Amino acid sequence: MELDDLKQTWKETTIKKNKNTDIMDIMKHKSYGPIAALKREFRKQIVVMALLPLFLLITTIDDISKIYTNVLFWSYVAFCVGMIVFASVNYRIVEKMEIMDVSVRSNLQQQIDLLETRLKWKLIGLRIILLFFIILVEVVPYFQHYRMLDKWHSLSPFIRFGAYAAFLILQYFLSRIVSDRKFGGHIKYLKELMKEMQ
Amino acid sequence: MYAYTTADREDLFQEIVIQLWKAYPKFRGESKFSTWLYRVALNTAITGLRKKKNFIESRELAELPDGITEENQKREEQLGQLYKAIEQLNQVEKAIVMLYMEERTYEEMEEILGISQGNLRVKMNRIKDKLRQLAKNN
Repeated sequence: MELDDLKQTWKETTIKKNKNTDIMDIMKHKSYGPIAALKREFRKQIVVMALLPLFLLITTIDDISKIYTNVLFWSYVAFCVGMIVFASVNYRIVEKMEIMDVSVRSNLQQQIDLLETRLKWKLIGLRIILLFFIILVEVVPYFQHYRMLDKWHSLSPFIRFGAYAAFLILQYFLSRIVSDRKFGGHIKYLKELMKEMQ
Repeated sequence: MYAYTTADREDLFQEIVIQLWKAYPKFRGESKFSTWLYRVALNTAITGLRKKKNFIESRELAELPDGITEENQKREEQLGQLYKAIEQLNQVEKAIVMLYMEERTYEEMEEILGISQGNLRVKMNRIKDKLRQLAKNN
């Protein structure tokens, strides 16, 4: 049997009506695919980044006055706000990809480019931020949190910097593994699709 | 073509409806509505269901026209073989076959998929050969 023979049958095929016609109910259906996964990821990031400073604030509620002048806390808040802005911008970019004013192939290309760029920026950004926090931990105790000088800073610089190096290396590999797990699969799959379209 | 069980088909249908619902307010009318519709549907089918790639092969034969009797059993079998062969095509090939069945012109296919007409004709011929071979082997 040839494909052309199937055409006739295809035309005559009766389409079973979907049981669910309630659009609001359908909207509750969880979406899959790279765009949906990206949107979920960015949404999650926004929520987590908004909750983290709140959590820190709640846990230090007994000594709330100290928090107002805490450099580390405000640096952390600034980092969270930055992450929220970054995730929001990303979310809007991903949303634009749902418009589909371009062909399927161009849309796929957009998805690959976007995923790769975001991934690169995120990895680089996280490394820089970690470095910034390490510097902060080293510097801040000299003009605030003097107690740290008796604790962490009393240790040998070799131990301290060794720990920082270990932390940076661990972060380097962990962030790669996490992003590969979250986005890498999508990128690989989309690249395969693009290859099929060549 | 992209879903082989009733549950999968319903999921895909719902997924496409969601995407259409979300994308429609932003539809700028730069292309024909049907072209846009196919783009959204195929993009969803190709990229939207990868989580279910390793589906269980509990394939139901696609709904055949009413009135299929025992006399047509052979035809049904052949159709079954062809459907099985189509299942083995990659996502893009399936999209081309689907548009071909829907009697879209190569020009429309190009607009929907973004693959040049020349390339589409080559791919179509290869798909037909591949299907013949696959149907023979099944």
